[in-house]
Amino acid sequence: MQPYSRRELLQKAGQGFGAMALASLIEGNPALAAGVNPLAAKKPPRPAHAKAVIHLFMHGGVSHVDTFDPKPELAKRDGQTISAEMAKGLKTNRIDFARAPMRGSPWKFGRHGQSGMEISELYPGIASKADEIALIRSCHGDAFDHAPGMYLRNSGSQFPGRPCMGSWVTYGLGSENQNLPAFVVMSDGAMKSGPGVYNAGFLPAVYQGTVFRSGEYPVLNLATPKGVSQKAQRTSLDLIAELNQRHLGAHPDGSELEARIASYELAFRMQSSAPEAVDLTKETDATKALYGIGDPLTDDFGRKCLLARRLVERGVRFIQLFSGTNIGKDWDDAHTDLHGSHTLMCKRTDQPITALLTDLRARGMLDSTLVVWNSEFGRTPLAEGTKGRDHHPYAFSMWMAGAGIRGGQVLGSSDDFGLRPQESPFDAHDVNATILRLMGIDHMNLTYLYQSRDMRLTDVHGEGEFTKQLLGA
Amino acid sequence: MHVRLIGLLAGAAMLHAQKADPAEFFESKVRPLLANHCYACHTGAASGGLRLDSREALLKGGKSGPAVVPGKPEESLLIAATAYTQDRIKMPPSEKMEDTEIADLTSWVRTGAVWPETSANAPAAAAAGYQITPQQRAFWAFQPIRNPAPPKVRLPRWQANPIDAFVFAKLDEKKLTPAAPASKQTLIRRATLDLTGLPPTPQEVDAFVADKSATAYAKLVDRLLASPRYGERWGRHWLDVVRYSDTAGDASDYPIPQAVLYRDYVINSFNHDKPYDQFLREQLAGDLLPAASEPEKWEHTVATGYLAGARRFNVNPLENMHLTVDDTIDNFGKTVLGLSIACARCHDHKFDPIPNRDYYALYGVFQSTRYPFPGSEKNHKPNNLVPRVQNEFDTVLKPYLDDVYKLSSRISKLEGEKRAFVEGVVPGRKLADILSEIVALTKERQPLLDQAPNVQIAYAVAEGAAGNARIQKRGDQKDLGDEVPRGFLQILNGGPVKDNKTSGRLELANWATDTANPMPARVMVNRIWQYHFGRGLVNTPSDFGKRGTLPSNPELLDYLATQFTQKGWSVKTMHRQMMLSQAYQLASEGDAANLNIDAANEFQWKFSRQRMDAEQMRDSLLQVSGELELGPGGAHPFPHMGTWQFMQHGPFSAVYETNRRSVYLMTQRIERHPYLGMFDGADAALSTAVRSQTITPIQALFSMNSEFVFARAKVWAGRLIAELPDDRKQIAAAYRTAYGRAAAPDELGVAMQYLAKTRKTLEAANVPQADAAAHALASYLRVVMASNEFLFVD
Repeated sequence: MQPYSRRELLQKAGQGFGAMALASLIEGNPALAAGVNPLAAKKPPRPAHAKAVIHLFMHGGVSHVDTFDPKPELAKRDGQTISAEMAKGLKTNRIDFARAPMRGSPWKFGRHGQSGMEISELYPGIASKADEIALIRSCHGDAFDHAPGMYLRNSGSQFPGRPCMGSWVTYGLGSENQNLPAFVVMSDGAMKSGPGVYNAGFLPAVYQGTVFRSGEYPVLNLATPKGVSQKAQRTSLDLIAELNQRHLGAHPDGSELEARIASYELAFRMQSSAPEAVDLTKETDATKALYGIGDPLTDDFGRKCLLARRLVERGVRFIQLFSGTNIGKDWDDAHTDLHGSHTLMCKRTDQPITALLTDLRARGMLDSTLVVWNSEFGRTPLAEGTKGRDHHPYAFSMWMAGAGIRGGQVLGSSDDFGLRPQESPFDAHDVNATILRLMGIDHMNLTYLYQSRDMRLTDVHGEGEFTKQLLGA
Repeated sequence: MHVRLIGLLAGAAMLHAQKADPAEFFESKVRPLLANHCYACHTGAASGGLRLDSREALLKGGKSGPAVVPGKPEESLLIAATAYTQDRIKMPPSEKMEDTEIADLTSWVRTGAVWPETSANAPAAAAAGYQITPQQRAFWAFQPIRNPAPPKVRLPRWQANPIDAFVFAKLDEKKLTPAAPASKQTLIRRATLDLTGLPPTPQEVDAFVADKSATAYAKLVDRLLASPRYGERWGRHWLDVVRYSDTAGDASDYPIPQAVLYRDYVINSFNHDKPYDQFLREQLAGDLLPAASEPEKWEHTVATGYLAGARRFNVNPLENMHLTVDDTIDNFGKTVLGLSIACARCHDHKFDPIPNRDYYALYGVFQSTRYPFPGSEKNHKPNNLVPRVQNEFDTVLKPYLDDVYKLSSRISKLEGEKRAFVEGVVPGRKLADILSEIVALTKERQPLLDQAPNVQIAYAVAEGAAGNARIQKRGDQKDLGDEVPRGFLQILNGGPVKDNKTSGRLELANWATDTANPMPARVMVNRIWQYHFGRGLVNTPSDFGKRGTLPSNPELLDYLATQFTQKGWSVKTMHRQMMLSQAYQLASEGDAANLNIDAANEFQWKFSRQRMDAEQMRDSLLQVSGELELGPGGAHPFPHMGTWQFMQHGPFSAVYETNRRSVYLMTQRIERHPYLGMFDGADAALSTAVRSQTITPIQALFSMNSEFVFARAKVWAGRLIAELPDDRKQIAAAYRTAYGRAAAPDELGVAMQYLAKTRKTLEAANVPQADAAAHALASYLRVVMASNEFLFVD
């Protein structure tokens, strides 16, 4: 191979040299052979209903019986215990299901939209979108602690080490924008699971979630250090390119060398594209107000939701937002203060999430974007102490919107007390298989050979995938 | 085509089935093949809704309809699927059965699918009927290691080292031309980074280039093997495979301050060239081995940190010890035997001859082993660690810790009261009082924390209550089946444990390292080869089973394995043999025509260029800047164990900066080290047999902008300016240090121009002259550190 002149090189870098660059040298995986850009956009193997995912993860555990799953029976029997028969097999760390009293929701539920979907007054905004969302009231699992619950729902295993959904999706589909990370994560700070829930596990590092921090420079090491001007950096990069060029001349058969040359140009471009992507000054005041930016309560999550829309616009494949943290007020304060925690956290997120749905719809993006609202578990329909609710993985709710999903429908149900699923139970694997399917991927076929086993996001599960119901065909 | 094929097979089967009694034919032919090929998925697990363990189940079928129509093989899905003539369903998916087996099955269906009454409805027990077939036994990896003679090759110089004879014969066979030998500069950089993980110093390069003797290179290899840096490099390879971690991996990720003893044991073992079989025995059963002295006894104890280091799970790891045992078996299988034994946890192994029973035979051994308890959310106090001197532990450390725990639990109670305030529950006391009590008690505790007695304890295993395990049906620990005698894998001549009063761990260690077992030697020489050459002869280094790849050069693999065991399992001897081969010394560029035949360089016609891994890169950056602190890493600055209160709501999480080598960085299980994660470092939750070598813009940003790189460049520039008078000399020194070669005149010119230009820009921005010179040089050095020539090993 003839070495390129510096100009040729930069030219190539400018015209999608990235497509052949960023080589990965993963042994034993033909999909990742040297010279193939592991993040190049790939055509989904099956018909895709969405191009991008915005995964809204309410970390800490949102009470289903106070938000999306009304249980008048709880209010009627407030203070009574459930039968020993019903309590059997239900377990958490803090309450005894045979002794804790039932607790009716302090919030009123109303019927919303043409569908008449019942949603509580905690979420007035989302309630106004009832006809856009498909509500699932029969989620279930058995991981009653935060970390296992989060790992399970995000990576299909209760334990660290498996790649998370965002990594699988970018592995399967690549990204449409090589100047930005393919898989972006925004959180409120440290989480009870640690950062492992957005790890790439045994997938190559290139599929790892990139954490966007707040501020002008969202990516680690994106800002040039103080005292280094853009121009000076360009001069340095030109010299790096020149040295690499010279080196390539002496080592012509090296796609990995070219890949690394290209990675500097990509990084350089990321230095301008990432700040541009997060620059909200380009948004109108009306848009910012829509998301609640400026209001101290909604400002933070509003920015994240607006950023998510901007990233989808720019071709980022998977954006995961976590609401709730380990270090401040969050959903999980419901252990001791259901009312305070849920009032606060719903206020923080309701308007931003509503705005996101409105905005995506208005821009014609909702049909090609899958929005998922999820949590690691619900909360006990029984009281913890006098004012709280404990973790409840045995039945809880989530919803999805966009991606051609028929809004206004409710899938599955829980029993009269919200203790267990009643109709159409869906576990984490069913949900994950469905998300993959909406993206045009059969969960059985998205595999990665790790130590001689074809690993899957859904492991050996996922048979209860429910895409057809969601699409309402 | 479809019908004709079945007809043919059926005809063949009829011939030898005719005379057989139908019941006997079923028991001798059909049941074993169903058990071996089908039961892994089609009994309890009922893949596709289909069970194949009773006649009723076959007639009922699964999602795709009945499996069998008695008397009509051509209408039976079972036959079409196994003959691979069905469009969609081809079973078993891994590999078609033998033609004779399909013929037997066809014949059985044709004659009415007779299933003898006695067993008609008995569901298959986990391994009932499991027989290892002759075909399975014939698989290459289970054959004894042969000692093939090196082939005759065209050129006499290829004959000298038998490795070359094997490699070059293969190249001839594949019509590949070997690359030219690498230059001496390239070779010393390659060998030094390979064996020590650090680049050679300019003095070392000069000495090697100047040494024109025939033994110069052999001397170099010996020098590197004798360096303590060698164990730090090759020990790290081992730590990758055994998923070494400084924390437990439970939901709160409890620290294991004693894990470093095992880390250092591994490093020292490589440095002292401990025979590999002994190395394995110590890690599996060190506590049970004879020892000549107390220090040796202690070393053996520490070695079992390998088993002790199995992952802990969830908020209450004691409730999940079945997963810890599973993780032990999984890692033991992959690391030592190159077999995925843990696949047999829920069912018979789908590809390799490892029945579910064999898994539980091993399970019993580890269930009878006492694992240390690292602490957890439910109980912050570690337990069952092994003291070096029991009496010292009982009389000194235990009473001391009890005192600390007393104060700590009072503080923790007060913290709870404080939290209640934050949550709005007033406990009938003033917040100020609670706070001042916390301060006072913390102050009272501090001197105690500072005076921790020096009592050595190891995170190691011991014998537990000996007993057999019962099969956990489909891996469910609550759904128990038959008890299985403790023992070892049948396919590798393993029988039951003989001394029933023990866990069987000592027998396990002896069985695993018996030279009759071909696996450990082949697996280890393959790993050594892989780290030297960039890929293994078997390219799935932790899987020598059916799902793994076949060896690219089986004779060479067996030759090496033979050498290994004959030369006392000496790893350093293997390094010498491999590195002194001409194959190792080839240039990384060769005849482009080879790329059409073997682009992946499977057959070693050139040296495979490698991107420095995370540790090589960080250590090299610290070395060139002169900041690398050599010597043992010692303990990590964990908080005192008497103060631990980690919970899932507040897991342990820390990054400890150090200028020691990267192998000494504290690595956690549930959270990856930010730097190591960025550069494909090993994930401590997983066994890493091959590091990925991804290249990403995030890595480029690290080189361009990170504080770490800026700090190294600044220090390096300061040193060069202090030591050398002018630009030209400073640049020349940088070239020699970073690349191991002198700068060409035009390279010097380019660099000087860059310095001049950068200085001018800085001075124009009113940076004082001296500072401008230092900044400009640092900027230039960052370019050097970011360049491909620095980062790649040729």
